[in-house]
Amino acid sequence: MNYTDILSSKFEPETTGTTIMAVIYDGGLIIGADSRTSSGQFVADRCADKIDYIHDRIFCLRSGSAADTQIIAKHVRYYIDAHAQELGRLPAVATAANLFRNFLYEYKDSLSAAIIVAGWDPYKGPQIFTLPLGGSVIEQKWSIGGSGSTFIWGFCDSNYKENMTLQQAKAFVLHAVAHAMFRDGSSGGIIRLLNVTKDKIEREFIDYKDVPVK
Amino acid sequence: MIFNSEISGQQQHTTSPVVTGGSVIALVYNGGVIVGTDTLCSYGSMATFKNVQKIAQISKNTIYASSGEFSDFQQVVKELAKIDRSALQYDDGVHPSPKDYGNFLARLSYKKRCKINPLYLQNVIAGFHNGERYLGLVDIYGTYLESNFITTGFASYFCKAIIANYWNENCTLDQAKQVIRECFKVLFCRDCRAHDVIQLAYVDAQGAHIEEPERVETKWDFNGFKSRANEKLHTQ
Repeated sequence: MNYTDILSSKFEPETTGTTIMAVIYDGGLIIGADSRTSSGQFVADRCADKIDYIHDRIFCLRSGSAADTQIIAKHVRYYIDAHAQELGRLPAVATAANLFRNFLYEYKDSLSAAIIVAGWDPYKGPQIFTLPLGGSVIEQKWSIGGSGSTFIWGFCDSNYKENMTLQQAKAFVLHAVAHAMFRDGSSGGIIRLLNVTKDKIEREFIDYKDVPVK
Repeated sequence: MIFNSEISGQQQHTTSPVVTGGSVIALVYNGGVIVGTDTLCSYGSMATFKNVQKIAQISKNTIYASSGEFSDFQQVVKELAKIDRSALQYDDGVHPSPKDYGNFLARLSYKKRCKINPLYLQNVIAGFHNGERYLGLVDIYGTYLESNFITTGFASYFCKAIIANYWNENCTLDQAKQVIRECFKVLFCRDCRAHDVIQLAYVDAQGAHIEEPERVETKWDFNGFKSRANEKLHTQ
């Protein structure tokens, strides 16, 4: 991260020190994220939406440098939009993941970005692709990311089950993100959930007072 | 605030903090002095210890709180308690006043600062002695000042404006408590290392009272927060 040499140590770049999560269930997928964007110790945005729109059924969850991930997502959104126009139908989630991958891999020395691409397409149904720092692409049934994820690996490993129902998956994501926010200083605020299915996308806002672990 | 461990040589203490406590806010009110802290000790960015009492009673009419390295806070509590105990040796019924503690801590902090081996703390001493209210701040370098209101850490950036607008030195205890609660609400929203469970303690003519921890209510269900969705930016 060469920009920290240039700037004085007092200024910390804005990052999404964060908790992000996506889980496939029987029929779709649930995406969850906290709402805190921090700049060092300061909470720059306490109600952020970290679930970024890429296409009608493709979303990405961003962690790492807010600036890096925002601009990459903007590029991918543009490319996917053009691609979908030409294709005449919904683009594949894997296509979006590959476009992200090209950025993260080519510029791996300059970027601090880790992304989870999650969505539904008519070819393979719900899919989750995790793109960690170096630019690799790993398809998974569930994925957690951000600084808060370190605190919930045990919880997720022991509570994940294949083929959960919508309600089970929602509860799993809600409790996992809440546990991460409980311990990670860089995560906090409210929880945003998104249910992605073939027919619709449904957003849910979990107010701070309804967060299960405080 | 960079202390280079190479310079001090043999014994190194706190050159960079490990377990840290958050902001302290202290105000004077018409009958005494009140101090508020949250109940969290962080391990870097991890909120590890959640039910920590960070306000200590030093003597009958003095309380002490600090932000920064928690082990240094515990050490200072020991040092100040030593002074109170050793005063008994004179057997004359005279106990150190709150200002005596403040002064001692300032000299101790300065001495350690000169040896590049600081107490990594911003300290607040509060007390009520002979009808006079006392509120003192000692920082990491040993700078000493007395004031009617004191904030440490992030509170110095966010809470001074709230205090200036809603508090005066002759307000009631309940008014002062409300101001401190409002300050911690803002801190919980804007400080990554803050927690919404706080603890208040006050000293008046009857002595020191440390209250049970309480949770402050913060508001998150604004329409703007709820309706914020990235798809709206990109779809018609």
